[in-house]
Amino acid sequence: MDQWLEFTRGPLFRLCFVIMILGLLRILILDFIGAVKLYRSVADKTIPWKLVLSRTLQWLFPIKKIGRSRPVYSVISILFHIGLLIVPIFLFAHVKLWESSVGTSWITLPFAAAYVLTLSTVAFGLLLFLGRVFNKSSSFISRKQDYIWPLLLLIPFLTGFICAHLNISPAFYSFTMLIHILTGNMIFVLIPFTKIAHCVLMPFSQIINTLAWKFPPDTDKAICKTLNKEGVPV
Amino acid sequence: MNRVQNTKMILWLIVGFAAAIGLNRFIFGLGATTNLTDKTPWGLWIGFDVMGGVALAAGGFVMTAIFYIIKREEFYPFVKPAVLTAFLGYMAVVFGLIFDLGLPWNIWHMIVFWNPSSPLFEVGWCVMLYSVVLLLEFSPVALEKHKRFAAAKNFLVKYRFLFVLLGIMLSTLHQSSLGSLFLIMQYKLHPLWYSEILPINFFLSAIALGLMMVSFESLASHWLYKRKAETNLLAKLGKIAVWVLLVYLIVKMVDIFLAGEASLIFNGSFESNLFITEMLISAIIPILLLGSRGIRNTNTGQWIASSLVVIGMVFNRLNVGGVTMLSVTGDSYVPSWMEVSISLGVVSSAILVFLFVIENFNVWNLRPVDPQAQPDTLPSFDYSSHAWLGVPNVASITKYSLAFIFAFSFGMAVIPAKQLHSKGILEIEVNRASGKEILFINGNRDDNLVSFPHEEHINRVGKENCNKCHHYVLPNYKSSNCWECHSSMYQRVDFFKHDWHSSASGANLKCFDCHMRGVTKNSSSAKQCTDCHPSYNFSEASGCGFEKYFTYSYADAMHNLCVTCHTEKSKELVDAKNLSLCSTCHKIEPPESIALNLNWQTTKSRFNNVVLPVTENIEED
Amino acid sequence: MSYAILTDVTKCIGCLKCVAACKETNHLKDDVPRVWQNTDGLSAENWTSIISKPDKHYIRKQCRHCLEPACASACPVGALHKTDSGAVIYDSEKCLGCRYCMMACPYGIPRYDWNKTVPYVKKCMLCYDKLKKGKQPACTDICHEGATIFGERNDLIKLALQRLKENPGKYITKVWGEHEVGGTSVLYLSDVDLGFLSYKTHLGNEPLPSTTEPAMESIPYAFLGMGGAMLGLNWIIKRRMKLNKTNGKNMEASHE
Repeated sequence: MDQWLEFTRGPLFRLCFVIMILGLLRILILDFIGAVKLYRSVADKTIPWKLVLSRTLQWLFPIKKIGRSRPVYSVISILFHIGLLIVPIFLFAHVKLWESSVGTSWITLPFAAAYVLTLSTVAFGLLLFLGRVFNKSSSFISRKQDYIWPLLLLIPFLTGFICAHLNISPAFYSFTMLIHILTGNMIFVLIPFTKIAHCVLMPFSQIINTLAWKFPPDTDKAICKTLNKEGVPV
Repeated sequence: MNRVQNTKMILWLIVGFAAAIGLNRFIFGLGATTNLTDKTPWGLWIGFDVMGGVALAAGGFVMTAIFYIIKREEFYPFVKPAVLTAFLGYMAVVFGLIFDLGLPWNIWHMIVFWNPSSPLFEVGWCVMLYSVVLLLEFSPVALEKHKRFAAAKNFLVKYRFLFVLLGIMLSTLHQSSLGSLFLIMQYKLHPLWYSEILPINFFLSAIALGLMMVSFESLASHWLYKRKAETNLLAKLGKIAVWVLLVYLIVKMVDIFLAGEASLIFNGSFESNLFITEMLISAIIPILLLGSRGIRNTNTGQWIASSLVVIGMVFNRLNVGGVTMLSVTGDSYVPSWMEVSISLGVVSSAILVFLFVIENFNVWNLRPVDPQAQPDTLPSFDYSSHAWLGVPNVASITKYSLAFIFAFSFGMAVIPAKQLHSKGILEIEVNRASGKEILFINGNRDDNLVSFPHEEHINRVGKENCNKCHHYVLPNYKSSNCWECHSSMYQRVDFFKHDWHSSASGANLKCFDCHMRGVTKNSSSAKQCTDCHPSYNFSEASGCGFEKYFTYSYADAMHNLCVTCHTEKSKELVDAKNLSLCSTCHKIEPPESIALNLNWQTTKSRFNNVVLPVTENIEED
Repeated sequence: MSYAILTDVTKCIGCLKCVAACKETNHLKDDVPRVWQNTDGLSAENWTSIISKPDKHYIRKQCRHCLEPACASACPVGALHKTDSGAVIYDSEKCLGCRYCMMACPYGIPRYDWNKTVPYVKKCMLCYDKLKKGKQPACTDICHEGATIFGERNDLIKLALQRLKENPGKYITKVWGEHEVGGTSVLYLSDVDLGFLSYKTHLGNEPLPSTTEPAMESIPYAFLGMGGAMLGLNWIIKRRMKLNKTNGKNMEASHE
């Protein structure tokens, strides 16, 4: 078991973590290329930068939304994301691992805060999942895998909590820890290839959104051509 | 066209893997990446990447000489690819050197600090100048794409003859000077390879290799893009190569006979076999193959002959560059897998650039096109995952970048963890625990003392059972202390000091004093500690096997020892539920009597790992 | 003023004080040799070592400071050079890490910082800083047995020859380093064969830089010669093609 743990948090972790970093970089670059190509093809070259910026900020800090359509949902979503990002990065045990392997360390969460945040993330994640299941408009746009991601994200939080806070036998501890690391690694790999990639693609999706509503030059003629109505005045 | 894409995919995989290993070389240094030693300071990277690379790039000057100087204009189709290959070859050499040089950021020093008596200085200058000349020779092809560069292109074309002439002169110099590099190693190089006319040998072999490399490259790229090979032209090249190879062979043999070393060829030693193999591959068999008109005119014959020469001449460079010195230096150098992968990566990246240039510039009369790069093809979906690969002209980038990323990550994963972890972990030495009946161990070096009631444990376990914990018993001690073997706080330590045993200032043992001959040198094929130190006492019950050759870090060892026992006991003893809690041993404050004697600098307790749910209960107990 | 070191193998008792003194003066760290390579005790952190041979023979190995050093002639940037005082010194500022010096040295002396990310070549420098101040190297300074002594090279050779004369049969009648590879600044008197200190048991008397000299001197001739030959060839071939063309025309004309 120890060898399995050693393997998963050594080579396997490096594999998955590098895939995540490079994969995110890759989709960022590919999206940038896509945006440039799109920009070249459209006739109207103006990009409303302010609008793009404000929309991106709105997506990042959805405070306005709280007062609008689905207040409860928005609040839960914000809280879920806070826990999701802060706990893995600033957890004491994780920082210690970085320090022992790479040699750098940073501030860590106090014990109690980690305790609360982990539990809150699990709770809000479950709520979000339930919302997706029972809300009609959400479930309408969901694919099968969209139900799995949130649950998968919760597994490392749960197992991590068990390992850190419960008095359990060593064998069970190793087993839980193994699941914790394996699912964590799995999430790293999945991040750049699934919807979770929205963490870096946010600004581009706004730019592409605004550009996509513009038409390339001679669109009218092309449309006429496909409709077999060339020369017919539109 | 699938063939091109699959080839590119494989090349990207190699490049990605090599990039990760290259990162390893720059972060951890040459020693961690290569098998080079003080006796073999030049290895695969010099022998293959630099010497082989320069020789393989000889096609450039040979083809330009044939086309521009001797005016054999039927060879026109070979000129541009040959110049391109040469340029990329030299770029690969420089790229490979960046990995090999100890201080690659000082590579420009050759321009500033001069030492004209050094052949390497001359080679360096020639390679620099020749790369520039090759760039000038090739750039018209690149410039013709845009009309605004027409003036520059015309200028370059006008003076092309001058560049070609300069290129040939420079090539003559450094191809032969690569041989001069080894003149100074008179006492190391085997006499069959050492000769005062090494520069001439190198120059002649470079011409032959250049011709055959052009033919190999043409055959390979035509195969790749499924075009018909220029068999007639290649046969003519082969005819020229026969004469050059013959001259090379005769010069070499006459030189060996005149030096009176002919008897060395057939004396059956390792070097003599090496020499015979080399001569067969690099000269004799190709001469026979290309000499017969029937074989020379067939595609297969050309394939075999050209690849034989290419392999044979690179083999020659490797032999001169180090293989034949091993018997003199007594070293046993075999390139590590990391060296091999970086070499392959350098070659693969050069090939990728070559394919890119061929597809995007008019190197050939008919430019081959990657169908996925055409803007008017249908959007492509991956056949296995049915995932959309992006707009058509991005689709290939999508695939190749994915290959690169996965290969890079795989490379990161297979780098030995010892290297990755060796720098980061603080080297914290463990020293004696303080206290007498109750020992206090400064667990995390942050004054969170671990209290260990030693006396109580003795009473509990019994005085005859000391070896339950004190398992490794040195001859002079009744029982050894934990910190003597587990001497580092967080790192595994080698418990058998191999380097001390082998060094002259240590035990001064030779390899085979301990290791068995003819078997891989590892711990299981070696003598064991007790063979030489009969008084050492290893208690078997503890599970401390000296065949493991390392001890756990202090922290791990203590945790293993204590926690296993404590969890067992906590089940038995109903009244001591807290026995298996960390906080039972990890107290925060040391007792005053101990704290006064401590030299440890009190730091703020950074790690709140033992802030504990049930502290109060314990103190009541 | 060319200084030198004379080591008398018969006087050495193998106390390793010279090794310790060398470490101290040059601020060398503890030795962490790489596996399988440390057979003579030299390393990047050990610039001199004592090799023990049967019958209580202790031979000190260090850089020989050749009069015409192969390493200095090989270095492409001139990071190594022979000073007037006799020491072959290394300028780490110039070095680019090609390790040609290590390949060129017939004694296999220069060592490399293999384990570092910024590696340098390491070898004995005859305590050059001390020489400049008029002191003697640390190793000869500390030797109580007089086994290794420092002085001017000519004086030391005279002394060595005198010892050979006074003690017939005690030594092998040869001052090791007097003539080998053009002479070295570290000399040995010994009663055992010291051939194992170099890669070949008996080195010639010719200095190693002279092996590359002919090749290096012929470079300008080769350069210009090749250019001239190519130009000449080109001229001949062009002329022949021109003649062929006019001949062809003449032939055609005569036909008509």
